[in-house]
Amino acid sequence: MSRWLPWAVGLVSAVLALGPALGRGYVLRYDMVFVPGLSLPTVLRGADGFPRAIPSDAVVAALSRVLPGDVVQSLALAAVFVAGAAGAARLAAGALGSSRAGARVAAAAAGLAYVWNPFVAERLLLGQWAVLLGYAGLPWAVAAAVRRARAAAYTAGVLRSLVPAAVGGFSSVVLTALTAGPAALWGRGGPARGALFAGALAVVSLPWLVPSLAAGAAGAATDPAGVEAFAPRADTPLGTAGSLFLLGGVWNANAVPPHHGDPVPVALRLALCLAAVAAWAWWVRRERPAFGPGLTAAAALGFAVALLGASAPGRELTAGLIDLWAGFGPLRDGQLYVAPLALLQALGLGAAVHWLTLPADPPARGGRGAGALGLAAGAGAAVLPVVLSSGLWWGAQGALEPVQYPRAWREAQAAVAADDRPGAVLVLPWSAYRGISWSGEPVVVLDPATKLFDRRTLWNDDLAVGTPDGGTVVVRGEDARAREAARVLEPDPQTGLPESLDAVELAGLGVRYVALSAPVDNRFWSEAEGFSVVVEGADMTLLEVLPPLVYAEEADISGLEVTGGLVTVGAIIWSVARSGSSLGFQRTGSERRPGARKEIP
Amino acid sequence: MIKVIAACVIGAALAGGSAYMVTNLATESTATAEPVNETLYNYGDR
Repeated sequence: MSRWLPWAVGLVSAVLALGPALGRGYVLRYDMVFVPGLSLPTVLRGADGFPRAIPSDAVVAALSRVLPGDVVQSLALAAVFVAGAAGAARLAAGALGSSRAGARVAAAAAGLAYVWNPFVAERLLLGQWAVLLGYAGLPWAVAAAVRRARAAAYTAGVLRSLVPAAVGGFSSVVLTALTAGPAALWGRGGPARGALFAGALAVVSLPWLVPSLAAGAAGAATDPAGVEAFAPRADTPLGTAGSLFLLGGVWNANAVPPHHGDPVPVALRLALCLAAVAAWAWWVRRERPAFGPGLTAAAALGFAVALLGASAPGRELTAGLIDLWAGFGPLRDGQLYVAPLALLQALGLGAAVHWLTLPADPPARGGRGAGALGLAAGAGAAVLPVVLSSGLWWGAQGALEPVQYPRAWREAQAAVAADDRPGAVLVLPWSAYRGISWSGEPVVVLDPATKLFDRRTLWNDDLAVGTPDGGTVVVRGEDARAREAARVLEPDPQTGLPESLDAVELAGLGVRYVALSAPVDNRFWSEAEGFSVVVEGADMTLLEVLPPLVYAEEADISGLEVTGGLVTVGAIIWSVARSGSSLGFQRTGSERRPGARKEIP
Repeated sequence: MIKVIAACVIGAALAGGSAYMVTNLATESTATAEPVNETLYNYGDR
């Protein structure tokens, strides 16, 4: 029973949080775009700039060869909750080292709190499933980082724990390094274990690291304007620092769950977070879990990085760093770095529940009644995060409804797939984000046409972010060919459409097809010469560029990139084969120093 | 004694939080956080 409890907590929280999103159909929201039959070669060839979709999209594309795309999406979303809750619960249980009912409730509380908080809700509403997958792997990585084992076994354990981060990509790896790195350095093995941990991180980073180094060498850059656009913001009355402490503060006001900033839940959540941090301090001092000092340092460092975006000097510093080296780009979305604090608070809540359920020493009169009261109080504290983050309930209260792609979209996809002539697909209107209405429940989402076709797409990867004063900050995209297309098209910023379509110019850009992925007046294209209509629907029109001489430059996957990917896959297979299980987990235990007391009355 | 007080506080928080959230859910319209009535959108709004 106790063995399966963490997984049961994860499964129940996944069903409660995702609800209808686990059904058939595609959940589309902001960055979360899944399409039927995502093309693996197209994902691997990618676009110019930093490979943010690798390896997460590559894994989705590979799984989509054996499973329907919507099922792959459901599995990915469920994995966030199941792996995250199970990881945190098992980390707590391993450190508590007790099989009492109270310890089991404490572990369940830690697991539930880790996946049911504003950080998860806001990132989910922002559609950042790959980041959340990396987040789910953090407790596994922390446990592996402090494991007592020989070098080879230690490395294999770390590699297995890094599978979620490996799939999640660069943000996930950065988060994992921040969260588990200090624990590895200050854990039992010291700097030697830290070096092994860093090496394992480097190995799982190769699929995105190699192409990003190539992109950097080719002059790709990250726009420092993103620092202002993606800085944390206050989403509660407690200001930016208070919102971050409550694990909220995401930059996008549209990704904040309903009622998140209301005074009643804010006050209760503040009390819960303070109690969790206090209980963490008590637990680390008394029980001395091996990962205690490291995770404390990681949470403090992450909170400090998040706070950088809350002040003008901090934002200037971050922008200067990004200007200096594009590799500092991940720092611009500062709220991401409260993730270690989320783990600390979840384990702290588990510690608080553990304290509540401890028997009195010496046993008091009416001890059985006191024990039952403690258990009941512990169970109540365990479900408090669920009550206070109601924005996550049942598909984030209807924000995660699955939809089916309209027939015209599937026909356009099939028509392009049936054509083996080279050439890219130009996606219009020239704006990345759409308010798609065919879903029945309209949502804002990255245009799915950017991923629909089995060839290179040219689309506007600039990111426009509205500011509170009614203005707009535009963060420049990184795709050089898209910039070239924009110069040729000169689209109207209001409609996203060029004044007219010129087939010869588009052929010169290497464009074979034009996909109009929004309702567009047909006069726009019916009067243009040099095109034929392949598919015509209410919200998808596919035009073929007729001139036979399309300048098509097809990118190849370099041998270095293939080697990098194979090294990562090979290392993970080796680590799994070495353990004989898919995702091993190790008890972390406590330091058990003479001063450490196992149970405190 | 301190645990009894803690249990009372947790019970009160659960009751208050539940009542508040259920009331909100009951009166909640089905409107989404962001209005969607155009074709082109920002990546987000601060």
